[in-house]
Amino acid sequence: MKHSKYLPYLLSAPGLVLLLAILYPFLTGAWWSFNSYRLNRGEAKFNWGENYLTLVTSGEGIHALFITLVYTISTVGIETLLGIAIAMLLNRGSYGAFFRLLIVLPLLLPPVVATLMWKVMLTQNGLVNFLLESVGLPTSLWFNGPDTALASVILIDVWIFTPFVILLAQAGLRSVPTELRDASAMDGAGPIINFFSVTLPLLRPVLVVIIIFRGIDSLKMFDIIYTSTKGGPVDATTNFHVLAYLDGIRSLNFGMAMASLMVLWALTNFVSSRLLKIRRSEALN
Amino acid sequence: MSLLTEHQKLQNKRKLKKVAGHSVTILALTAWSLFALAPIVWIFLMSLKVPGDIIVYPPKFDFVPTLNNYAEVLNGSEFLSAFWNSVIITLGALLLTLVIGLPTAYALARFKFKGREAIGFNILSLRFAPELLIVLPLYLIYQKTGLFDTHLGLILAYQLVTLPMLVWMLRSFIEDLPPELEEAVAIDGGNRWTAFRHVLFRLIAPGLGASLMLSFIWAWNSYTLPLVLGGRNTQVITTGIQQYISYQAIEWGPMAAATVVSMIPGILFALVSLRWIVGGLTAGTVKG
Repeated sequence: MKHSKYLPYLLSAPGLVLLLAILYPFLTGAWWSFNSYRLNRGEAKFNWGENYLTLVTSGEGIHALFITLVYTISTVGIETLLGIAIAMLLNRGSYGAFFRLLIVLPLLLPPVVATLMWKVMLTQNGLVNFLLESVGLPTSLWFNGPDTALASVILIDVWIFTPFVILLAQAGLRSVPTELRDASAMDGAGPIINFFSVTLPLLRPVLVVIIIFRGIDSLKMFDIIYTSTKGGPVDATTNFHVLAYLDGIRSLNFGMAMASLMVLWALTNFVSSRLLKIRRSEALN
Repeated sequence: MSLLTEHQKLQNKRKLKKVAGHSVTILALTAWSLFALAPIVWIFLMSLKVPGDIIVYPPKFDFVPTLNNYAEVLNGSEFLSAFWNSVIITLGALLLTLVIGLPTAYALARFKFKGREAIGFNILSLRFAPELLIVLPLYLIYQKTGLFDTHLGLILAYQLVTLPMLVWMLRSFIEDLPPELEEAVAIDGGNRWTAFRHVLFRLIAPGLGASLMLSFIWAWNSYTLPLVLGGRNTQVITTGIQQYISYQAIEWGPMAAATVVSMIPGILFALVSLRWIVGGLTAGTVKG
């Protein structure tokens, strides 16, 4: 069909305008990251990337990077394994639809609200400690323990977002033709070989989507951590996104906050652009 | 004779194995369901308790239920205004996203033009950038321009959450439909607009519904944006619910009741459209 040369630009103009509008705060923020800029101490002053250096020398940035990576690798790993396993179970029998309804509920709540619910359950005198005690297990400090806070936060992420993996994996599994599985079973392949040689390769496109979303959202997780621990105790759960908020809104140090955010952005951008390229090439094939 | 019994034995063994397999499956699924439901059930029980029943240890399972917490939440103006702010901002953001996103997605899907991939990728990359990267500078810009703590300001900022996914999903849906569909309309004397309106739009409607639904949930659940860019006038559900937790005391009962009420829209929305949503997210990855 013929069209004017300008039609595609005209149609995408609103999107373009929005992108250009966002460029302004983005560039402003990027500039601040190279400035010493505290809201309560007047004008921004260029300081030759000292903020980035401070992130390294103070150890804050290295620590935040460590927390960010531990959080991301744990949540994505646990959720993907559990999600695929549960999706396979759900696809086995006719009872799948019933369980799916129950299993998906956590995903539908605002993460902030879900976190509050867990906060209620995981207090010193909360339900979980009571249950642990009544079966003779030691209780835990959960969010208040320096060693247990990060694991507690990861637990909430797993609770909320495993259903996301389940839903996508289920859709992906349905596209695996049963004939293929039967054929490989006929050739004498056991369920394990069957999974790795037939199911997993065909799940790959969906897996890429799962890892894009879960990976990026975990790298920049804010809601769950800030609602449950505010990054504490001390800095036991302070990832990059939380560090930036504490620096920016709490300490009004916009220079340092933007430096953290630029590093985090570089990280998410690197991961997402790689994964999206894979997805795009697969979608076109 | 012995061959037959051998065969029967084998069949019985298989049957047994199948039954055992199903039992294990059901057991595992039940265990995960309990894990998924426990916090929701617990907060629901808590919302029906009087303060004395909430703070006792060991936790109480049998108690006289009360609706006082709900009465307090629904009669007070704070939660209701947060609820309405959430509705206004979320729906406003979706409407704006639709106006911006639909033509953009169509252009990206149907035309080959210079800068196409750059536009597509940059819009999507907004979804993957940390929210504060844009929101923190916006905080100062909004304070200077008077957009801080206004519905309009938040609706504009929420585009960061709603637009990228809508464009990405719609583009996949349109690309999945053959361009010949529109060419057929053109042969019959129609133009691109009539082709879009009468053919394409109807075919992508379910997908569009799914994308809107997903955007709704993401916007409804959003926390960082209203936390930084909102204030007293634009308290939404996610920021408002934190008001029950202050440094002096936590109002457990009303917080629980508010939590239960705030779960309802997301659950209603999603139960109606779960299948659509999954279809939208996996568009282009699942064939057939």
